[in-house]
This record gives sequence, structure tokens and C-alpha cells, in this order.
Amino acid sequence: MSAEAEAPSGDIALPFVMRFGAARPMIGAAAVTLFLLVWQIVGANEIIRSDLISYPSEVARTLIAMSASGELGSNLWVSLQEFLQGFLPAIAFGIAAGTAFALVPRLHYLCEPLIVVLNTAPIIAFVPIVVVWFGVGTQSKAIMVFLAAVIPILINTMTGIRQVHESWVRACRAFGASRAQVIAKAILPGALPPVMVGVRLAVGRAIVGLIAAEMYVSVRGIGRLIQVYSSSERAAEIFVLVAVVATFGFALVTLLRRLEGLIAPWSLEP
Amino acid sequence: MSPRREQIILGIVGTLAFLVVWEIAARLDLINPIVVSNPSRIAAAFVAQLQSGEIFADLGVSLVEFAAGFGLSVVVGITLGIAMGLNRPTEYAIDPFVWFLYSSPLIAFYPLIVVWLGFGFATVVAITFLLSFVSIVVNTVAGVQDVDPQLVRAVRAFGGTRFEVIRKAILPAAVPLIIAGLRIGLGRALHGVVLGEMFSSNAGLGYRITFHAAHLRTADVFVPLTVLVAIGLLINALGNALEARLQAWRP
Repeated sequence: MSAEAEAPSGDIALPFVMRFGAARPMIGAAAVTLFLLVWQIVGANEIIRSDLISYPSEVARTLIAMSASGELGSNLWVSLQEFLQGFLPAIAFGIAAGTAFALVPRLHYLCEPLIVVLNTAPIIAFVPIVVVWFGVGTQSKAIMVFLAAVIPILINTMTGIRQVHESWVRACRAFGASRAQVIAKAILPGALPPVMVGVRLAVGRAIVGLIAAEMYVSVRGIGRLIQVYSSSERAAEIFVLVAVVATFGFALVTLLRRLEGLIAPWSLEP
Repeated sequence: MSPRREQIILGIVGTLAFLVVWEIAARLDLINPIVVSNPSRIAAAFVAQLQSGEIFADLGVSLVEFAAGFGLSVVVGITLGIAMGLNRPTEYAIDPFVWFLYSSPLIAFYPLIVVWLGFGFATVVAITFLLSFVSIVVNTVAGVQDVDPQLVRAVRAFGGTRFEVIRKAILPAAVPLIIAGLRIGLGRALHGVVLGEMFSSNAGLGYRITFHAAHLRTADVFVPLTVLVAIGLLINALGNALEARLQAWRP
């Protein structure tokens, strides 16, 4: 009997599937390289107008130029401040309200329609009304970030606390724990993993809310830059800005994972 | 009182209390009724837009764009997902691009799409498609790869062709995950329609929101906004019903 007959189940999904065990990164890298190469050739030789699609080396050059002039840094700083002004309160309020809703279900029922509306409606549709209410400045951006981020944190905190194993609580009680000790030793550690998932989910939504609000109307910020360069049809600058926003989101999620590993190492176990 | 009834009644009470407090605050000039608006003004605006037919015209435009963008993403998403799920090299080659689209802020791409496709219908459909098709691809791939190999072997043992394997074993087994992907895609498609209309269109619910906001007619802004919220709730209810049916159908 050959060893192949008993390959790990993940590899025998389908008999006619071609098996390429370690090939994933290689094929992926080859495909991306090919894409960049074709893009470079088509753009640099003006086979398609390069102001519409740009090309990788121009994007790289633009990134360096925009960083060197301070244009990127100063606008990113504005966006980052707006982001934190909305996101940190969203974490605090989301966890507090989620905890209250989990402990007092009637309170949750009272507010449920509002939560459902905010959770299912396309959040960017609220941008114009938030701008009318809170002005064109920093405040409306922070409010949009808050609105976008608070819901997943709130919902995950609520379900997280409800799903804490009953046996953990009983075990604490059996050893004579006080109510505060039950919360500190069983409920908080048990609810932390889903709360952190909610915070990570909130990052993406908050970024969309922030960029949409800045694009809609603002004086400074990454979304403002995107709007400026789109009206002058500058593809290279837009690619740079897309990359910056994507990198910001990716870096923040990675940071949150690291943080989670430090304060709640049990939560990253599969 | 059953817990379910208590939940519904408390929900209605909470909503009514919210509206009443809002109305009173506006009447007492605690908040500026012109800028902030209030429920009675919004109700009047709703009636006016229903009578003029404005809201129906916008709703029609948005629904057509939604159907076109989402329909396209269902066809492309499921086809691409099956191709990637069945063939590893295809999956490995396309995967980086799918994950780029999935994790990058697509909203920032809209200026490029406007440059490529112009202002209006095509751009809105393209943004809707881009936002919704990725979740369908990812879930279809997972669904196809999740198929029990025993099922595939059984179909082949009875002489099934490759096509029959796909139709009789793989697709039925992948359906639950595909449906889950469609659900996420529906919500994202609605986002795409609103985004496209807000920034690059002159018709539709999303456009109407920005149009009224630019004229500081706050009460009028709430009419298309309310309709969008209703569509969002409807989509969610549809998804729940679909999944419930599926649960009943699954062995």
C-alpha cells in the first residue's frame, strides 16, 4: 500500500484536484509578479493611457514623492486623529453598553430596533446627515467612525458575555467566589475573545466610514486627498492612497492580534 | 406575558420614546428643528415625496443598479469560486487578488472606476459588483473544498462524469456556504449602490440623500435614508428565511 493512499484528508478533497502541497506561495507570487509586469508594460508604453491606469514604477515614484513632500504624513496624521477620536470612545461605549445589555435583557429589548437599524443599514448613507448635524470639520468624521465601529463591538460583547460557560461561573461559586470575583475570573476572560473579534471587525467598518465622510466633505485627510486627485484624474496618486489606507487597516488589525496575544493568550487558540 | 412578546413590546416602547423625546426637544427648540429636523417634519416630507412620486423614481433606479451589480457578482462569484475550489493552481494564482480586494478599502477605488467607466449607471454597477462578489467567491471556494470526498467517490464509483460529480455531489453540498456568502454579498451590494450613487451618479436613493443634504433639507434626507434602512432590513429578513429553509432541507 502506498503512502499516498492515506494522504491527509485536506489533500484528498477531490480525486481530480491537482495536488500542489507547497506550491501555494510560489504560484501566488508568480501570478502577482506577472500581473505587475503586464501592468508595467501596458502602462509605461502607453498601450492604455497611463493617466488612467498608471503603472507600478510610477506608483512607487509617486509614493516616495508624496512621502518626501510631507503631503502623505500630514494628511494621514489628520485622519489618524479623527479615527482615534471615534474609535476609542466606540470601544469604551460598545463594551459598557454590551455588558449592560447582557446583564439586563429588558434594556437591550428597549434599544434593539435602533441597534438593528444601525447594524443592517448601509452606514455610509448616514454620512450626509452626520455632516449636516455635526459640521464639516473633525467632529463629523469622529462621529462616523464611532457609529460604524460601535455596533460590532456592542453586539460581540453582548453575545460574548451571554456565551460564557455556565460551568465556569458555577466553578467560581463553588470555591466561594464573590460576585466581583466571578466577573473578574470567569465572565471577563470568557467574553474577551469575542469582544476582540468585534473590535477587529469594527476596524474595517470604521475606516470605510472615515474615508467616506472625508471624501464627502473635508478640509484635510486621506479621503480629502483621494477626492482631490480623482477630480484631476491622477491614477498614480489614487493607487498610493489606496495602498496607504489598506496598509493602515492591515497594521491596526495585526497590532490588535498582538495585543490580544499579550492580554488574553487563550483567545487566539483555534 | 411570553418573553418574545415582552421583547417586541419593549422594542416598540423604546422606539416610540426615542421619537417622542426627539419631537419634544425640537418643539422646545432644545435642538435646531431646521438643521436636525424632527419626526413630524420627516413624516410630512415622506408624504410629500410619496405624492410627487420622487421616491419611487429613485427607488427604481437603485433597485435596477442593485439587481445588475449583485446579479453579475452572483454569476461571476459562483463560477470563479467553483473553478478555484476544484483546481488548486487556479486557487493559488487568484487568491492574492481576491484577498487584496477583500481587505482593501474599495471605497477609495471609486475615483478610478469613475475615470474608467464615466459618471452614472456603469460605475455604480461596477462598484456594487466589486464590493459584493468577493464574499461570494470566498464562500464558494470554502463550500466546494468542504465537500465530503466520500460523496465524490460515490458518484465516480457509479460512473459519474466530471460534470455529474460537480452537479450531483459538489454543488448540493456547497450550497449552505454559498448561501452564507450570498447573504454577506447582499449587504455589501447595498453598500456599493449607496456609495456609487452618493459619489458618482445623478439618480437613485444614495444620490437623493446627498442632493437634499446639500440643500440643507434635513427632513427630506430622512426619506430616502428610511427607504434604504427598510431595504437593509428586508434583505436581512430574506437571508434569515432562506437559511431557515435550508436548515430544514439539510439532512
